[in-house]
Amino acid sequence: MYRYISSSLAGLVLAVSPVQSQQVEISLELPVVETAQYYRPYVAVWVEDEDQQSVRLLEIWRKEPDWLKDIRRFWRKIGRSEAELVDGRTGATRTPGRYQLSWNGLDDAGQPVPDGQYTILVEASREQGGRSLQRQTIQWGGGPQQYTQEAMSELGELKITLN
Amino acid sequence: MKKLMISALLVLCSVSVSAHTLWVLPSHFVLSSEDSWISVDVSAANMTFVADKGVSPANLSIVFPDGERHAFSQSYQGKRKSQADHQLTMDGTYRIELAGPARYFTFFEEDGERRRLMVNKQERAEKIPANATNVVTTRSRGRALSYVSVNAPNKTALALHNEGLELKLLTHPADVVATEPVQWQFMLDGQPAADVQIELSREGELYRDTAGREVLTSDAEGRIRFTPPEPGRYVLEASLQQESTSALADRVRESLTLTFEAALP
Repeated sequence: MYRYISSSLAGLVLAVSPVQSQQVEISLELPVVETAQYYRPYVAVWVEDEDQQSVRLLEIWRKEPDWLKDIRRFWRKIGRSEAELVDGRTGATRTPGRYQLSWNGLDDAGQPVPDGQYTILVEASREQGGRSLQRQTIQWGGGPQQYTQEAMSELGELKITLN
Repeated sequence: MKKLMISALLVLCSVSVSAHTLWVLPSHFVLSSEDSWISVDVSAANMTFVADKGVSPANLSIVFPDGERHAFSQSYQGKRKSQADHQLTMDGTYRIELAGPARYFTFFEEDGERRRLMVNKQERAEKIPANATNVVTTRSRGRALSYVSVNAPNKTALALHNEGLELKLLTHPADVVATEPVQWQFMLDGQPAADVQIELSREGELYRDTAGREVLTSDAEGRIRFTPPEPGRYVLEASLQQESTSALADRVRESLTLTFEAALP
């Protein structure tokens, strides 16, 4: 709201379109892996601050707890000590394909994070497969941005857009 | 220069020849499900995690996250390595420990011959001959440790007992990550231990031309700082010899190994 008022006072943007609140759009891909024994990967998507502390768990797609530890960084940063949060965000594992997620700048407690540098992390770990970790640093409050991260063995190209 | 190198080699040899390095190696350092089993290998060897001599698992125990010590539920002594299994029934950090009580050796010379008795400084008066010379009693102890965490790590099993050479794990073993700095502190009988000699090695030495071991010494506060270069399993081997003013020994000789994992960043 404050942002809206200050923008309109400055007389900018207003003429073009109503000011929207900032949002991070995350487009991730689970690639098709040709293998005799394919198990859907366990995937975690979260946001870390400049001190590499998780501020927001966005998604966790998984099944048995046994293999949660194999999403290595997710496990160390969130999984091992935030059982309730993980349960609350748990979703079913997904088939290969492209998935759209978004982050509205709220932390796990529902509070807006201060402007600054954050990192979006996408980690995928597949039974009898590999582990891939993509990370993209963004500037929250830094205006429109667009990023892509190269495909890895367990994750396709990652596209991140801030409006 | 050559002389220097030779004397340096002699120092290294005197450490490595005296004994193989004893380690405990758990099957997992991190677990995420309840009632998981852990299997622990115990061996003594010169090359890290290349099992050479099976060691008796009699002195092997596991301290639970609540501080209770348990014997392993089953164990086996093999020729190259020994193995023990236990079920981890609660969340938190467990300490796996192979350690016996301190042993006392009294060395002396009698009629020009060097002899040794297994007695401490208080007992020695009535055990050694009246004409014994160069009498020195040494307290000796070795420990092999490793830590395993199920779900959220805790610190109860990391507590020190202020006995012998111990390691204060300022960086929790579950938080050791390749390329990130680690800080630990050595204590001797509850006091910071300076000048502890440390050798840090990592798995896979058999498949590298150079083992790439790192040699460290604890500072005046007993602290060491290092950064594991690669993810993987490491052994930290520490030894300390120094004069003692205790009632039971003139010298202490302590050794400690810690097996740990540097996680993938």
